[in-house]
Amino acid sequence: MQTVLGIAIDGVAYGMILFIISVGLSVTLGLMRVVNLAHGAFAMVGGYLASFAAQSLGLPFEAAAAGAILLTVALALPLERLLYHRIYGSANELAQVLLTIGLTFVVVAGINYLFGPTLKRIPLPDYMEGVVNLGPKAIPTHRAFVIAVGIAAIAGLWWLLERTDFGVKLRAAVDDPAMAAALGIRTERLYAATFALGVGLAALGGILGAELLPLEPYYAIRYIVLFLAVVAVGGAGSVFGSAGAALALGIIDTAGKYLIPDFGEFFFYAAMILILFRWPNGFFQRRPA
Amino acid sequence: MATGPAWAATVKVGVIGPFSGPFATAGQTFKQAVEVYQAMHGDSAGGNKIEFVYKDLDQANPAQSKALAQELIVKEKVQYLAGFFFTPDALAVAPLMDEAKVPCVIFNAATSAITEKSPLYVRTSFTLWQATVPLAQHVYKTGVRKVVTAVSDYGPGIDGEAAFKTTFEKAGGQVVDSIRMPLKSTDFAPFMQRIRDSGAEAIYAFLPAGPTTLAFTKAFADNGLKDKIKFFGPGDITQEPDLPALGDAAVGITTAFHYSRAHDSDLNRTFVAKHKEKFGNADTVTFTSVGAYDGTHLIYRMVEATGGKPDGAKAVEAVKGLSWESPRGPLTLDPDSRTVVQNIYLRVTERVNGALQNTEKETFAAQPDYGYKLGK
Amino acid sequence: MNPHLRDAAGAALLAAAGLAAFWLFPEDLGLLTRIAATALYVLSLDLVLGYCGVATLGQAALFGTGAYAAGIAAVHLVAEPMVLLAVGGVAGGLMALATGALILHAHGLTLLMLTIAVTQIAHEVANKARWITGGSDGLSGIAPDPVLGLFRFDLYGRTSYLFALAVLVVGLLVAQRIVRSPFGLACRGVREDALRVAALGGSPRRTLIGMYTISGVFAGVAGALTAVSTGIVGLDSLSFSWSAEALVMLVLGGAGRLYGAIIGTLAFMAIHHILAATDPFHWMLFIGLFLMGVVLFAPGGISAAIERAAGRLRRAGARA
Repeated sequence: MQTVLGIAIDGVAYGMILFIISVGLSVTLGLMRVVNLAHGAFAMVGGYLASFAAQSLGLPFEAAAAGAILLTVALALPLERLLYHRIYGSANELAQVLLTIGLTFVVVAGINYLFGPTLKRIPLPDYMEGVVNLGPKAIPTHRAFVIAVGIAAIAGLWWLLERTDFGVKLRAAVDDPAMAAALGIRTERLYAATFALGVGLAALGGILGAELLPLEPYYAIRYIVLFLAVVAVGGAGSVFGSAGAALALGIIDTAGKYLIPDFGEFFFYAAMILILFRWPNGFFQRRPA
Repeated sequence: MATGPAWAATVKVGVIGPFSGPFATAGQTFKQAVEVYQAMHGDSAGGNKIEFVYKDLDQANPAQSKALAQELIVKEKVQYLAGFFFTPDALAVAPLMDEAKVPCVIFNAATSAITEKSPLYVRTSFTLWQATVPLAQHVYKTGVRKVVTAVSDYGPGIDGEAAFKTTFEKAGGQVVDSIRMPLKSTDFAPFMQRIRDSGAEAIYAFLPAGPTTLAFTKAFADNGLKDKIKFFGPGDITQEPDLPALGDAAVGITTAFHYSRAHDSDLNRTFVAKHKEKFGNADTVTFTSVGAYDGTHLIYRMVEATGGKPDGAKAVEAVKGLSWESPRGPLTLDPDSRTVVQNIYLRVTERVNGALQNTEKETFAAQPDYGYKLGK
Repeated sequence: MNPHLRDAAGAALLAAAGLAAFWLFPEDLGLLTRIAATALYVLSLDLVLGYCGVATLGQAALFGTGAYAAGIAAVHLVAEPMVLLAVGGVAGGLMALATGALILHAHGLTLLMLTIAVTQIAHEVANKARWITGGSDGLSGIAPDPVLGLFRFDLYGRTSYLFALAVLVVGLLVAQRIVRSPFGLACRGVREDALRVAALGGSPRRTLIGMYTISGVFAGVAGALTAVSTGIVGLDSLSFSWSAEALVMLVLGGAGRLYGAIIGTLAFMAIHHILAATDPFHWMLFIGLFLMGVVLFAPGGISAAIERAAGRLRRAGARA
């Protein structure tokens, strides 16, 4: 029984990291219809900036993380205006895939040039070090923190989308962009704000997830498939869908690796295929992605 | 003094290793050790200048390894191949070696079966069997009876698991669980859970040195296992470049290995000092450095023996049985397995003068490659 | 100009250029062989992406299946190179048929993810089945018989290259016939407007599966060709990045023109070879920028740029 609990907690922690990073991709895909393969690169940049701030500049964790997130968003916004803007819309799928792959390559090369090929760590503050004992199961405190942040993110995003003006406009624009614009909603500003939100969340996920998904230059390429899987399985544009998908995939992956470690790599992708067969548009179907 | 022709042709050696990507540190140690050898012994042997050509192979990719080796042999016309961090990369070049009669000096790859694939392989690193057999015997002697093994699911990992299991069970112990982890794993939480559930008193772990060992060892400490289960493994786990990042998580780990930067000998002190002199610091000096250093030594002897002419079989014959002093201790190239016979040291990672090091506590002298031609 | 004549001229030009490369770069035949085999692989992707409009990141699954099938056959059963190519082609085709029937009902991101998942699973199967595929060590010991009983495969790659070039030229000719056939036109119809094709009584899904299978045959032959000419099959032939590289090469060259696949492969691999020798990340930077540039300023890739230039020359000539 404690094993089941242990696996569940580990799976949830892993899933939360995937969720925090991927939910931004889900929202931008749902809204702007952009398959942004560079999303992992934003997570990576956030992580690297935080690592640099904490290790080389000696800033405390919270300041380093906050600064890194803001700086990543600041760097990404011009890209939205200059690049992404030109390829919105589902007709341009292939162009989006290729442009964002190209952007990812550029970011990977840049990060390697600036920071070198070795792994970067983000030194954790004292309250995140050590081990937390939940009865018989001990998990790293850091992971418990991640789960808490994940829950806060789900709650926060739900509140933002369901209870604020911004959220109403965003949902309207997702459902029917032409009508929303006709009603006077400033879709361009909405896009920019949403993009910023997505990038900020990715950066946060990159920073918090640095213990699980280690920071090295190939990060953006290595993990993008995981993030896309969460979005595809959860349904583009749906926050709860992303949460459900991330948790499901995280738990299945962790359980699989526990039960049959040497077949560990199968479970994630087999689960993805099976789920996509049953729900081709993802858990919480909106429009087809 | 020079009795040869007025000019002797340059002998080229092609070194394939990871010079970019996550294992770039290892490739860097190859290059630095070669340059240190050249600084200490000159860049010629027997009147022939030796030139090293480096090709980057950042991961285990046998097809690319073969392509690079083909280019080195056909275009660069190398007389010797060298390097190889990963086993699959070393294995892939066997057919080329045999066809072109080019010997290959392995600086690192540690699976026993490699030297069986061609008579032209020589190895100056170690093998998993070589390091694990004395370790398993030691573990039994400390009174431990139940062990769980956790290895990366590829050649050397499987070797390590087999070596430990065979030796430990022969001594009377029990391996309660054998976990094989996918090579690309970054999240070890589920495996830690399984380790905990196995009820073992100790763990034997092997993963390729670098980001993987770092993540595993950290996860072990972070999951609260450090105080419950004794941690044993080959020295890949506590390679010197990783010790600062591991910090306290590494203290107390017992490893068996052929080289520690803290080895107490004059030659080793000179070796480390030369690194510091040439490159500003010696923080990255580790087992891959001596693998390359001694590999270079063999190359020099082979060039001398053949007078700088391409004659693979003659070169390898000439160094079989060769004995010499290395920064790690005394070495002899075993004429059968063509892997060096060497001391394996039992080390414990501890803090000395504020810095972490692998302190040698016990010596198992003259260990051969136990895994060579096993069961044949 | 008669389209069939134009096709033949294109193939002849390819053969001539290939032979010129043989004389000009005798020490780089290993690289040239890989370029030729990869060009065939990218050509297979063009059939399904350029002519059917199906965006896939799973072409490596088809290539790798062909490569491993040929490799395993070579090690255990038969070493005749032509037979090995056939084995690869059949294996690739069957894999395409089976997976295509399962996943081609999907579109967009869902389809993309399904193709990725198929590739990852194939990769893991090959990894686990060590006893027959060699796992992460790779499948080696592939020693093909001399081509036509006469030309031995050797270290220097002369036979490998000429063999690969011949297979590529034949492949191009076959592909040209297919895309000009009624079936090929049906595929283009599905790409343009699947609904209309269905309304006209056609079956878009069956057409797609058909072309996907053909593309699988081509990819499988390319995989077998790589196995035979390099003597080794690694897990990287079943990797996501190999699928992505094919896509990048095709887009650089220009999809939907067949010869774009060949130009794109040549450009990409040549630049990779030159730049990766210095520092792999310089190459990544260059390709990333090149890719972004092509998407933003030259959609349709190198071949479209060539056609625009040729168009301008023709008009200038007509005016003169």
